[in-house]
Amino acid sequence: MIHPLWIKIIRDIWGNKTRTLIVVFSIAVGTFAVGMMASSQSVLASNMIDSFMAINPSTARLDIEPFDNDLLQTIERMPEIQAAEGRYRLDVRVQAASGAWRNLQLYAIPDYENITINRVVSESGAWPPPDRALLIERAALGLLGFQEGDTLWIETASGKQRQLPIAGIAHDLHQWPANFGTIAYGYITFNTLEWLGEPRLYNQLYVVAAEQRFDKQHARDISALIRDKRVEKNHLKVFLVNIREPGRHVAYDLVQSMALMLGIIGICSLFLSCFLVINTMSALLTQQVRQIGVMKAMGARQNQLIRAYLSMVLLFSLLALVLSVPTGIFSARIFTEFILNLFNFNLVHFSVPPYAIVIQIGVGLVVPLLAALHPVISGTRITVREAITTQGVNQGQFGSSFLDRLIERVRGLPFLVMLSLRNTFRRKGRLILTLTTLTLGGATFIAVLNVRVSLFQTLDNIMLYWNYDIDVAFDRAYRVERLEQEVLRVPGVVHVESWGSKTAFRIRPDGSENENIAIIAPPANTHLIQPILSEGRWLVPEDDNAIVVNTAFLLEEPDVAVGDDVVLKIEGRETTWRVVGTVTGQLGMMGPFVYMNQHYFARAMQDVGHANYIVIQTERHDAAFQSQVRERLEAHLRSVGLSPRAMNTNAELRLGMEGIFIIFVMVTLVMAFLLALVGGLGLMGLMSLNVMERIREIGVLRAVGASNGSVLQIVMSEGILIGLLSWLMGVMLAFPLGKFMGDAVGIGFLSIPLAFTFTPASALIWLVIVCVLATLASFLPAWHASRITVREVLAYE
Amino acid sequence: MLKHWFHRNQARTDAPDECYRHGNTHLIEVHKLIKTFQSAAGTFTVLKGIDVQVDTAEFVAVIGKSGSGKSTLINMITGIDRPTSGSVLVGDTAVHTLNEEQIAVWRGRNLGVVFQFFQLLPTLTTLENVLLPMYLCHMYPARERRERAMHLLSQVGMSDQAQKLPSALSGGQQQRVAIARALANDPPILVADEPTGNLDSKTADAVFQLFEGLVARGKTILMVTHDQELARRVSRAIIVADGEIVDEVRNNQRYDFPQTPSQQDLTRDGIVPIIANGVMDTSAGTGHMPSVTDSHA
Repeated sequence: MIHPLWIKIIRDIWGNKTRTLIVVFSIAVGTFAVGMMASSQSVLASNMIDSFMAINPSTARLDIEPFDNDLLQTIERMPEIQAAEGRYRLDVRVQAASGAWRNLQLYAIPDYENITINRVVSESGAWPPPDRALLIERAALGLLGFQEGDTLWIETASGKQRQLPIAGIAHDLHQWPANFGTIAYGYITFNTLEWLGEPRLYNQLYVVAAEQRFDKQHARDISALIRDKRVEKNHLKVFLVNIREPGRHVAYDLVQSMALMLGIIGICSLFLSCFLVINTMSALLTQQVRQIGVMKAMGARQNQLIRAYLSMVLLFSLLALVLSVPTGIFSARIFTEFILNLFNFNLVHFSVPPYAIVIQIGVGLVVPLLAALHPVISGTRITVREAITTQGVNQGQFGSSFLDRLIERVRGLPFLVMLSLRNTFRRKGRLILTLTTLTLGGATFIAVLNVRVSLFQTLDNIMLYWNYDIDVAFDRAYRVERLEQEVLRVPGVVHVESWGSKTAFRIRPDGSENENIAIIAPPANTHLIQPILSEGRWLVPEDDNAIVVNTAFLLEEPDVAVGDDVVLKIEGRETTWRVVGTVTGQLGMMGPFVYMNQHYFARAMQDVGHANYIVIQTERHDAAFQSQVRERLEAHLRSVGLSPRAMNTNAELRLGMEGIFIIFVMVTLVMAFLLALVGGLGLMGLMSLNVMERIREIGVLRAVGASNGSVLQIVMSEGILIGLLSWLMGVMLAFPLGKFMGDAVGIGFLSIPLAFTFTPASALIWLVIVCVLATLASFLPAWHASRITVREVLAYE
Repeated sequence: MLKHWFHRNQARTDAPDECYRHGNTHLIEVHKLIKTFQSAAGTFTVLKGIDVQVDTAEFVAVIGKSGSGKSTLINMITGIDRPTSGSVLVGDTAVHTLNEEQIAVWRGRNLGVVFQFFQLLPTLTTLENVLLPMYLCHMYPARERRERAMHLLSQVGMSDQAQKLPSALSGGQQQRVAIARALANDPPILVADEPTGNLDSKTADAVFQLFEGLVARGKTILMVTHDQELARRVSRAIIVADGEIVDEVRNNQRYDFPQTPSQQDLTRDGIVPIIANGVMDTSAGTGHMPSVTDSHA
């Protein structure tokens, strides 16, 4: 026969289903979050790495003046190179389904059946694309609003317009997902390229290193070698060298940061659920104090009782794991598939690593046991005399501490509210536990809301850095006066500036070169950049060879400081520049930038009076107005023979970045709400326990004339008071917590800490939620309390 | 056959021929027992140097008003509470020297406790409640426990309620089960604190008859009670007032204790039976306390 103690434990669990559900649910929330995040992190990482490596990613990409197969074969024969491939990239404009024109990068690939580097694969439809047709990268379909089989209108920089049917859908993992940007990707044959008026040559070189594939410095060395010994020796210019983090998709770190943040919140929710376990076990043992006394009177030893009650906790944990392990796995699958699809990956394999399950089970079993240890040990330590004489009023000390005497002095409150206030502080240890749960839940909730606001504020600040509404890039330089004159004719445009824009390489003192630096050369007195200086000064009109560098530049070239001279190679020409200042405030992922005066840049490029890049301010700055002006501008520029290569509005750029953050914020808010729910459950448990302990007191109140409503009010006031206290503490804690989260999220996503913003609205929203939570949590115990009769109380054991 | 099955794993605390290990010759001996409580209101002495002896197969009632110290005295004997000074010897065991763990083990094997409010575990059936002490104290081979428990339940007339939960039983039925539970480990001593306090007179009488039957079979029973009728049916009544034993009646014979005002109160309240001419007077107290010598004049 089963030991009666175990029978008792099982029946205690089954007998109070509400309590069992509350504690099982709270443990399940924590273990679910831990399990889901552990599984998700692993699945995300393995899928992203495996899928990315499957495309044989390039070690480096060089954008070169058009070159032929001879150069390609020369490079292929280099011993440092395992594989080399050429493509031709053509930037065109495409008319989306909405009628607006968008940026489209077309890639001409020589042999679709034998793509060896940065493999593009067929998703559906034709493969390879037929001549005079194209394949569209699948993530761009949403951007363009088209489907397979539709026909696009494209326009080249030279003004040539062509119709191209979408013959199929391709999947190109190497590209930044089009749904987060403003550029769509298409794939054509060289015949189509020629038909579009372009030469049958390559202008992009992809290489894979023979050795040390994942060594970024080695990649730089190889690129420099190719550039110096092969390309430039052939009198060709290298415009850009692009070396990404070896072996990692560009979104990998972003996704891992997201998963890490969510994992931390998951651990917090498990931690909070422990408080609930502590409170519940305290409640249970208080409720069973007589039974403990009787069992001890019959000969039960403390360790027998400890084992029994800890077994109860173990059973709660097992029930919670039964709930949380499969839901965690299921949710991890949904979550990972969602995130992977978002970043243009497929969920290729979903296998939860054993360690994730082991962690979830281990944490789910061990943590609640540890949490329950103290209440179980102290609850079973009670002597038989104490246990069987426990009765009557006066449960919990009040009046002896400084805090109690302070509260005693509070006057002016309605009598019943005053009673509730004093009742709140009778069981200080228990109150602290419940307050901690609610406070942490509330602080996290408020902090997440503020992180959201801070994120968008930071994006606003970043966008303010670029204080223009539209930028336009041309395939070649035009006279500045003509450009600006034509642009100003477009309604809605209030200001235009022509900027220089090139890529350059820094020649280091040891002769080596870096990858590339973007040069931005605005007019000296421009107000269309609002730089955030961190050192030195900004450019002044008198500056000639002065440059201001950004923090990403300093990260790559740490030997450079304000006052130093640096040698830059621009289109093969080496020139010396003096660093006069450094700026921050840009997105770190945009790489190293250098700012110089436009007039000196033009002189250095021997192209005075011409520009291939303009920036425009419009009358209004909302997304809709910017789009309208852009459309009008594009139409007008085409009509006067100035076909743009690419056009972007500030709002579109911002929208692309917002898209990532919105997902993160939404998921984090859900997690924060779960935390808050655990806090609410904790409060319900506390109120039930308080009512149970004070059952005789309630009976006495009713014996002296308290109505149902009065009892209800006393209990609910106590619950709401606790909720309000937790709100106050949560708001205070939300400041440092929000700052910490903001810094972590900002550095993880944007490489800069967020501009921390605390909005009163977030505190008010939580105030409403906590009042509702507290009301709901205390209603049921209050209702039970109001139904207690004096007769029941006197018979109560 | 059943006797063989119910062979105890522990030796009984029967009185040896001469004395127990600590020199006590009675089954229960309490010497100069003092119990003092400390509270915010000050120090309060509940027991003021009590001496009590109880022998095997005695049926002793401990009588007194609320606050007299009778329950405290019982708690000392059961080890539920500890004396401030004095000794409590039960058989070979000096109860006052044991720690909590040792007391629990000793109590489970040597005492059966019956509470006023039954105190059955609400989530266990009557059978499981009776089984629990055997499992806790590892008494009796596992395969015998269930049969023993059923036997005990049948002894108290509750075998047909074996699978019921306490909530399905009346007060009297619960108390019977509580008695069966107290007998689970076949303890030589049963201690009952107001066992009939929550029962009607008819049920109380039935429970008392159970006790009488147990005494007839050699059990020693200490019972705290307010019930006058029951108090008259025991073989010995110890009257406690203000922390002292003020009177004692054995087989309807009172011993010569000096009368205190409290004693007079007890008599007047009918708690102490009036003995006249060797016969207990069951009428309401008149305030006059005849002495034993008067009756034999």
